[in-house]
Amino acid sequence: MKVLVAVKLTYDINQLKFEKDGTPLLDACPRVMGEADKCAMEEAARIKDAGKAEEVVALTVGSSKEHQRILKDAYAMGATKAVAIKVNDPDNLSALTIATIIASFIKKTGPYDMILLGSGAGDTHSSVVGPMVASLLNMPLLANADRVKVEEDDITIVSTLEDGQYKFRSRTPAVVTVTSEANEPRIPTIRDILRSKKKPIDEISPEDLGVELSKVDLVDVKRYEVPRKRVKIDATDNVEEAVDQLIKALEQEGVI
Amino acid sequence: MLYTINKGVLEELTGFYERLYYSTLEYFDPMIVSKTLHEIVSKESPEAVLFPCTNKGRMIAGLLAGLTGYDTVTDTVSLKPLSDGFEVIKLTFGGNASATLNVKKPMIACIVSGSYKESETLGSKGEVIEVNAGEHILSVEFSPRKLEGVDPSKADVVVGAGRGVKKKEDLDMIKELASILGGAWSVTRPLAADYGWADAWIGISGLVINPKLYIAIGISGQPHHTMGVRGAKVIVAVNSDESAPIFEDADYGVIGDLYRVVPVLIEKLKKGK
Ligand SMILES: Cc1cc2nc3c(=O)[nH]c(=O)nc-3n(C[C@H](O)[C@H](O)[C@H](O)COP(=O)(O)OP(=O)(O)OC[C@H]3O[C@@H](n4cnc5c(N)ncnc54)[C@H](O)[C@@H]3O)c2cc1C
Repeated sequence: MKVLVAVKLTYDINQLKFEKDGTPLLDACPRVMGEADKCAMEEAARIKDAGKAEEVVALTVGSSKEHQRILKDAYAMGATKAVAIKVNDPDNLSALTIATIIASFIKKTGPYDMILLGSGAGDTHSSVVGPMVASLLNMPLLANADRVKVEEDDITIVSTLEDGQYKFRSRTPAVVTVTSEANEPRIPTIRDILRSKKKPIDEISPEDLGVELSKVDLVDVKRYEVPRKRVKIDATDNVEEAVDQLIKALEQEGVI
Repeated sequence: MLYTINKGVLEELTGFYERLYYSTLEYFDPMIVSKTLHEIVSKESPEAVLFPCTNKGRMIAGLLAGLTGYDTVTDTVSLKPLSDGFEVIKLTFGGNASATLNVKKPMIACIVSGSYKESETLGSKGEVIEVNAGEHILSVEFSPRKLEGVDPSKADVVVGAGRGVKKKEDLDMIKELASILGGAWSVTRPLAADYGWADAWIGISGLVINPKLYIAIGISGQPHHTMGVRGAKVIVAVNSDESAPIFEDADYGVIGDLYRVVPVLIEKLKKGK
């Protein structure tokens, strides 16, 4: 099998800070490979380790130093090839443009038997790129996998959706999106990390793929907060008193 | 107009739409739902196609976008028509930020639950149209969510448990608290997806709820979780770590050990009844 994994360089939103006027301080926010994307990469590596795939291609849209870094991470985890798409500010591209780039790359360099993506990016979490890629390639979509099983040319996933648990199955080739619960991504050994540093990263431009870039027409981004009272009630010593205080407050709010 | 694969909702919604399309499917299969919807959209040429911002909604929105080429925005809380498109406000960075953007029509949007008040009916009943969805593309097995007690999406009071709750048995006190308050209980994602203690969880990838009261117990308050409870009128947090981010998002933050606080809360509420 030949597997493609698309990974995104995401902001670690738990560390995102804001200016007083509400502007996000993105430059100061650390960036990492998306948590779910890492699980997608791990899934691909396991398929390769099990002898079911010979090639695992890791792809990211963007070619900055940091993009290169997550591709090296993909190498350290088991990718056999890594490709960066040369665009300057991928974060400003529409989801459909990103999906079109990925699909066009697949058409140009494929066929692939399995396309893996994270089910949602840690920062924007739109969860639509995988489905878009599936439609653009006219492939079945197996989305939101908490578990993935590959047998010959058959893929089964377990997916928890709002009304219950689904088991979706289809033949390859298929697009599979993976949640951050699907597996515990490996921590590469020092040897793998050192080796990954020497591996080449191919670069392709969207023009090479015949994709026209469409930017999001962003007006502004601001901190978003629901105003909360933030009353602190200390229950470290006197639990009884604290609970009385809480019950009284909730009665006054009229919510109990 | 509306498209649904749940025939059961037609009766209730007929006053809100001019045309209501439905298909009868054995199971939810994103592939045929999106293909059928694509046919309807091609015929109706709407200016916007709206979905609930749920896992299924995002899935179909993305598939439809690939089929139609429409621009797609998720986590939408507001949509205002402009002359050639829409001004859209969406949540991003795990709900910590909101972004305003202009999107050309036709577009696709996934709308966050609770962003709009219920609209008025049109005053007349819409036309109900059945569409044949064709053969399943995926092979599907489905086991419905087992609901223990009240549905968190419909309850006025929801008690949420996080990893501060150490054992599955300890969920009993969470359930008891919920039942005394006449509400529902739920969990954070690790408790459901990792430990299997529940079938569903609250947050961006789970349920988005709008209760009058949400009580977060032993929950750190990561944005992925709190995005699911933004609509709550009052939020209470119980956490032993004074610096837990949940206190930023709470109206009443009880700093303390849940194993000491919750039993006392249960006891006092019982007495008060
Ligand atoms: C793409 C993506 C989507 C996600 N979607 C969701 C989602 O929809 N919903 C969701 O919930 N998560 C989601 N997550 C996971 C999320 O980021 C957090 O990891 C998760 O919400 C943390 O759960 P928690 O608060 O239960 O656990 P923790 O973060 O481990 O917090 C446990 C808390 O309990 C407190 N505690 C411990 N012992 C006690 C005690 N005795 N008394 C009182 N307090 C105690 C601790 O101080 C701590 O604050 C998602 C993650 C990703 C990457």
